[in-house]
Amino acid sequence: MVRLITHNLLACHAKDCNTNNFPLAFKDAQLEIREAEFNPEFLKGFLPKIEWTALVDTARQLGDTSLPLEQPEMLDDEFLKNLHHVLLEIHVEEGSMTCPNCGHVYPISNGIPNMLLAEHEIG
Amino acid sequence: MPPKALQATTVQGDPETYEDQNVHNVYDEIATHFSSTRYKPWPIIANFLSSLMTGWIGLDSGTGNGKYLPLPLDRPGDIWTIGLDRSRNLLEIARKAGRSDFTREVLVGNVLDNPWRPAVFDYAISIATIHHLATHERRRLAVKRLLECVAPDHGRVLIYVWAIEQDELSRRKVIEDNDPSPPIGKDVVVPWVLSKELSKSSTSSKQIAGPQVYNRYYHMFAKGELLRLVLEAAAELQLQVGSRPKAEDAVQNDTRGIEVVQDGWERSNYYVEVRLWQAS
Ligand SMILES: [Zn+2]
Repeated sequence: MVRLITHNLLACHAKDCNTNNFPLAFKDAQLEIREAEFNPEFLKGFLPKIEWTALVDTARQLGDTSLPLEQPEMLDDEFLKNLHHVLLEIHVEEGSMTCPNCGHVYPISNGIPNMLLAEHEIG
Repeated sequence: MPPKALQATTVQGDPETYEDQNVHNVYDEIATHFSSTRYKPWPIIANFLSSLMTGWIGLDSGTGNGKYLPLPLDRPGDIWTIGLDRSRNLLEIARKAGRSDFTREVLVGNVLDNPWRPAVFDYAISIATIHHLATHERRRLAVKRLLECVAPDHGRVLIYVWAIEQDELSRRKVIEDNDPSPPIGKDVVVPWVLSKELSKSSTSSKQIAGPQVYNRYYHMFAKGELLRLVLEAAAELQLQVGSRPKAEDAVQNDTRGIEVVQDGWERSNYYVEVRLWQAS
C-alpha cells in the first residue's frame, strides 16, 4: 500500500540524489478510501515524526484539504480524526511517485510501490 | 518425501545476479506454498514487537509473507510496521497478512538500499533475510542499512539469521563437518519441493511428472558471526559499542553508539538485538 503514512517516510535514493529528494510527487494517482480503526494514541506518538508541510501539501494534491497548514497545539478529536483519515484511509492504488530533484519515477501497481533502482542508478 | 540433506555450494559470478537466480526468483515461484508454511511468529520477535511504544513506526526488511506486520495482536494499530521485500508475489500475500479486511503497508525494495528519510524509523527488524545475501560485505551492508534507518537516540533493531547449529525440531540435516567450530558460516542450497497443486506451471506443463524442486541459497551463520557482522557495521558508521553513557561519564555531546541487548540462539537461528543511543 501507499498510504500517506508511508509516503511521508519515503525519499528518493537514486545515485547522487541527496538533496530536495523528498517528498515524492504522486502522478496519475488512483485512490481508494478504506476505513481503518481510529487509534488516537498512535497518532499522538507518531505526530512528531511527520514532515508536516509535505503531508499537508500531498493531501491537498490528492484532494483532501482537512489539515491545517501549521500543526495545531491542541490535539482535539476533530483534528486527530482528520489526521487519521489522511494518514491511514487514503490508499493510492495505481500511479507513480516522481522525485522532485532528479525526476526518477517510482511506479505503484496494485497498491504496491516499487522502490527498486536499476544497477547504474544505485548510489 | 524424506528430508534432504543440505548441499554445500559456492557462490559464483556476480553476487547480485546469483541472488536473483537463487533467491528472488525462487521466492516469486514458491510464494503461495512458502507462505502457507510460515505463519507462526517466533517468541523472541513477538516479544520484541510487544515491547515497543505506542506511536512507533518500523521497518520489516525482508518481510516475506508479512507475518510480523500485524503484531502485537493485542494492541492492533498501536505501532505500524512497514514491510519491504524483493518478491512481489510474497508482498501480494503480505498486504493482507493477518486479516483479509485489513491492508498492510508494503513495498518492493532491496534490503541494501535506503529509500527513506534519514533515520526515520523507531525500530527495524530483519528476520530470515540477511542469510540470503551472497557475500560477507553484502550482509554487512544490510546490517548497516538497518542501523542507519532508525533514530540514533532510541532506535531498536532485531536481526534473525539461520544458524549452522540446527536443533532436532528442524527437519533439515546439518552438513557433515569435521571442524567443530568453523569461524565463518557455510554457503548451502536448500531444496524447496513445490507441491503440485500450488505450482504455477502445473497447468501449462502437464508433462512434468512429480513435484518441482527449487534450490534456495542460504549462508548458514556460525556462532558469533552475526554479532561480529553487527559490530563491523557499527564501526563503519562510527558508532561506539557499549551501554548508553551516564551523565557523570562526561561523554562528548552527540557521541553515538549501540548497546547489544540480546545475542542468542533460538530454534536453529541466531539473533542479535541492539539499541542505539546518543549522548546529550
Ligand atoms: Zn531523486
